[in-house]
Amino acid sequence: MTHLNRYTCEEAFRRLDDYLDRELSADEMTLVHEHLEICAGCAREFNFEASVLRGVREKLRQIELPDSLQARILAVLGKARQ
Amino acid sequence: MPTESDNLLDDRLTGQAATAQAAAPLGADEFQVLLVEVLPSAFAYALRLTRNRADAEDLVQDAALRAFRASATFEAGTNFKAWIFRILTRCFWANHRRRQRRPNTIDFDDTPDLYLYARSAEHGLPWQGEDPARALIDRLGTERVSEAIAQLPEEYGVVCTLYFMEEFAYHEIADVLEVPVGTVRSRLHRGRKMLQKALWFLAEESGVVTELTQREGDA
Repeated sequence: MTHLNRYTCEEAFRRLDDYLDRELSADEMTLVHEHLEICAGCAREFNFEASVLRGVREKLRQIELPDSLQARILAVLGKARQ
Repeated sequence: MPTESDNLLDDRLTGQAATAQAAAPLGADEFQVLLVEVLPSAFAYALRLTRNRADAEDLVQDAALRAFRASATFEAGTNFKAWIFRILTRCFWANHRRRQRRPNTIDFDDTPDLYLYARSAEHGLPWQGEDPARALIDRLGTERVSEAIAQLPEEYGVVCTLYFMEEFAYHEIADVLEVPVGTVRSRLHRGRKMLQKALWFLAEESGVVTELTQREGDA
């Protein structure tokens, strides 16, 4: 791939969310990745955003299933099967 | 090493009908096994929707029973978890959305991109030797991060919940909410910006920003 089809900062930034979510095509992923390798400013912004996503995700996943709920639901399903 | 039955369970949960058995109709016993597997995530999702543990338990139970009664309609080879979440979401809209939602205290209009990044830099939060976003979110803690999600307008909060808690892809969220993928993409992009504003608001309100700024000044 030549430098002629590299993304500018604006083009890379427009794809920030989709890049972090891996929702871009393989070619677009490569172009964004290449831009981040040569642009420290964008790389810093992308890393910050990725870290926000990771942090929020980890915090929200700390919810446990109440002990009694599974038994309660299975009992209801048992009755429905009869 | 995973057994054949483990592989079948994985295929059902993810919708990758790699085996001939995965395409067979869903029996009552198998339904139960699959349901138990997704119950923790379903409860967490229900809790985000209802914001109340008792209501979340009722919602999951209601959805489980409806799903069981409709199990013949489950399309073999599709994603069981997304299917259950879709039923749970429908139950929520239909029967469990009773409580008056708390009024939003944050003005989300025109929230700029990179909101947290810009505000963190503006306030001189630590950049050397530490991940600044991580430092902020760790100090906010689970309760405040949950509160930030709860501050979002409902249509954005639901998409963000599915995205952050379950790591569903855009098309899976679209499947659960029965909306086009483009709607998920735009709500998620906007919701993420709003969430950053809510996180910053809570970080300021709770003194986390001051704490981090002082720490940087002491260093």
